[in-house]
Amino acid sequence: MLNMRQALHWGKTAAQIALLVAFAKAADLLVAWLHAPVPGSVAGIALLFALLKLRILRLEWVELGAKWLLAEMLLFFVPAAVGIVDYGSLIAASGWRIVLTIAASTAIVMIVSGWVGGRVAAGRERKMQG
Amino acid sequence: MNAFFWLAVTVAVYLLAKRLYRVFGKIYLTPLLVTPAVLIAILLCSGVSFDNYDKGAGWLSDLVEPATVALAVTLYKHIDVLRKHAPAIAAGAGCGAVSAIVTSVGLARLFDLQPNVTDSLAPRSATTPIAVGVSQLVGGIPTVTAVATLITGLFGLLMGPPIVRALRMRTPVARGILLGTSAHSAGISKALEYDAATGSIATIAMMLTAFVTLAATPWILSLLG
Repeated sequence: MLNMRQALHWGKTAAQIALLVAFAKAADLLVAWLHAPVPGSVAGIALLFALLKLRILRLEWVELGAKWLLAEMLLFFVPAAVGIVDYGSLIAASGWRIVLTIAASTAIVMIVSGWVGGRVAAGRERKMQG
Repeated sequence: MNAFFWLAVTVAVYLLAKRLYRVFGKIYLTPLLVTPAVLIAILLCSGVSFDNYDKGAGWLSDLVEPATVALAVTLYKHIDVLRKHAPAIAAGAGCGAVSAIVTSVGLARLFDLQPNVTDSLAPRSATTPIAVGVSQLVGGIPTVTAVATLITGLFGLLMGPPIVRALRMRTPVARGILLGTSAHSAGISKALEYDAATGSIATIAMMLTAFVTLAATPWILSLLG
């Protein structure tokens, strides 16, 4: 059974999700209206961040909804991933080459980003101590 | 059949996959792999077309954009981490994101993949919504990008910890940048297994990777001809 506190928590989460859905839709419309060359979602991130920073929106008003949406992000991509069933011939023809490309490239990205980031961080550490 | 049927099936498979992973904790049981695999098997066995499936389950896709916008809240909460480590994260994620695009395109061409598949792989290191958006922008196939990004996350889970060990990365900054840049939200989940600080760094690295991918993919592709 849901108790009062849980019901309130889920009610709040649902309301905040609705707010974020409306916000994303508004960002989309704005981008379309301005013919801006960025995806609506990126404009949405920038706008929401600015509103939080300017304290027009308070963190408590969106925090629970954002947490739920981000935690379940994988679920929202399931239909897109299942769409691969329509690409059977592509998988048969080049599936392993695609997977090999992704594996090798991912390993390279790890080595490059970790090494560069680590070096810059260590350099700054030395400068601050020096 | 009622359109909501496939929505319900998708959510049910997802919840079961999450429970399965929680109980057994084996990396090959990650919901990232199990959920789409089970649903694809169900569709293939029942002979239901993807269009029919997507009429119901496609409702879930409408939540991708609000979830992406919600990243602003993450950015707002972790802004101190960004301020403190900005040079390292910007350099690491920037070089990482560019090397992701260049090596994906380079290897795809080496393997002689079709041009639109190559374009679909270019943004695969960014978080899925941005990767799919960029893919549409540069003439890729959004579905292929979505799946490539998912596979990237799987490789991130598999290769992240061994590479962290092999490179002797001991600081949260280096580990977080490595995981967040290479494997988006899957990388963040691995980073959180080290500690919260590594998770925050990975989150910021993922966001910077997304922005760099968005800005750089079109001109890297045109530069590479």
